[in-house]
Amino acid sequence: MFGYVTPCKMEMKIKDYEKFKAYYCGLCNSIKSNFGNLPRLTLNYDMTFLAILLDALCENKYNFNRFKCLIHPLKKRIMINNNEALDYAAFCNITLAYYKLMDDVYDNKTIKSKVFSVFLKGYLLKSEKTYTKRSYIDVIDYTKEKLLLLNTLEASHKDMGIDEHLSIDELSHVFADLTGFIISFYYKDAAFKDDLYWLGYNLGKWIYVIDAYDDLEKDIKSGSFNAINSLLNTDKLDFKNFSKCIKPRIDFLLATCAAQCLKHLNKLPLIKNENILYNILELGLMEKMDKVLNKDSNTYNLKGVEYKDDKSL
Amino acid sequence: MINPYEVLGVKEGTSKEDIKKAYRELAKKYHPDQYSDNPLKDLAEVKMRELNEAYDSLMKNNNSSSNGSYSNGSSNSYNSQSNYNSNSNDDYASNNIYQSVRMDLNSGNIPSAEQKLSSMNTKTAEWNFLMGMVHLKKGWHDSAYSFISRACSQEPNNIEYRRSFNELNNRTSNYRDNYYGRRGNDSGMGNLCLNLWCADTICECLGGDLISCC
Repeated sequence: MFGYVTPCKMEMKIKDYEKFKAYYCGLCNSIKSNFGNLPRLTLNYDMTFLAILLDALCENKYNFNRFKCLIHPLKKRIMINNNEALDYAAFCNITLAYYKLMDDVYDNKTIKSKVFSVFLKGYLLKSEKTYTKRSYIDVIDYTKEKLLLLNTLEASHKDMGIDEHLSIDELSHVFADLTGFIISFYYKDAAFKDDLYWLGYNLGKWIYVIDAYDDLEKDIKSGSFNAINSLLNTDKLDFKNFSKCIKPRIDFLLATCAAQCLKHLNKLPLIKNENILYNILELGLMEKMDKVLNKDSNTYNLKGVEYKDDKSL
Repeated sequence: MINPYEVLGVKEGTSKEDIKKAYRELAKKYHPDQYSDNPLKDLAEVKMRELNEAYDSLMKNNNSSSNGSYSNGSSNSYNSQSNYNSNSNDDYASNNIYQSVRMDLNSGNIPSAEQKLSSMNTKTAEWNFLMGMVHLKKGWHDSAYSFISRACSQEPNNIEYRRSFNELNNRTSNYRDNYYGRRGNDSGMGNLCLNLWCADTICECLGGDLISCC
């Protein structure tokens, strides 16, 4: 489900791109120092966006640091550290990854996810002690509750078959609300909390829907649960015909969510990182939509592909 | 039957517009919602019923007889009128709910608006439109879209529904343009350069030169 919120690199200034990479490395480093080495494997771009957004609203200066990365040992890299927003993002990264893994264990019971989730649980428990004083425990509880709810909704829907009463909005609401909660929790007493929540709400919905559409072909073939397929494919069409008739509707929903994100970003009192945030929400989301919806021409799966291609991160 | 003109407090032969105006003012005054915890509630309800009957009979009269005088409004149509009244009372009640839903929407009380709408059975165009508005405020764009498009197909001539529907469709076009605009420009530039280069090469092949430096 993760890895769709990325910048549109081609339209980015080099300095913003370097800053984005510094946040990414900073997040990785924060996971390492707060949780350990293994959980670093769950690092993803969505949480980098979270860190950049939350840090943009806070006045403290960048704290750049040169370091050598073990995975890319040849070049020296720059990262941002000693940053609370990054620590929060690291924490959310692990929490979400863990409960997502628990879902996978429950769903398809692969050994890989099971082993990994057992490991991750240990790390999460360890961190609970460090984070409780900052009441991040609320986030853990909320995440657990909502993802469980989402899982039950999806599972019960599978049994019910085609049910008119549950709409795609209703189902995606759960994940959207969770995203909104996670993003706005960090500034829970600020005046702009509502804007943060709605930005997160729309972004969460966007992520949920685009992920479902991206997996649509694969899920129809393998017969596993897919939100778009089970809710909207009433005639049980095959992928080719179904995607043709559903595309305009999904396109509308995604573009509206993305436009709403941008609208709420405009209302936030940003102090820094403005260009990165606008690049991501204005162009990055569109670029992803363009690629996912017009996949026929380029068939590979899209998560993070650009960066793997040029080995820059 | 009581003289409807007296109930509404207007002269005989008053124009339709004025009757409507008088009715609205009195309806506001006697509306039972304003007397919720008041001993006058029953009285207001009686008054309201009289008011509705009077208004309906006048409106009906005005429609059937163009001279608009009450003398034509005979009692033989009374039976059918009472039927008509009970119908339009329903209409009136639902109109009232729609009104309060709109007020809820304006003040941002979305849950209350949604609750009122889902308690209703008749799903008119206005119902679909208002439900669409509620879903829009909730950020449920997909269902909002289907509600509002349903309202539009039920009442294709309603400007309000049509405008909201178009707005919904145009909402994303600015956003899209920003991305596709940039992309389009880029490829346009590339094409221009390529075309110039081709033209230059062809000219050179023929012995001339379009761009002298290369």
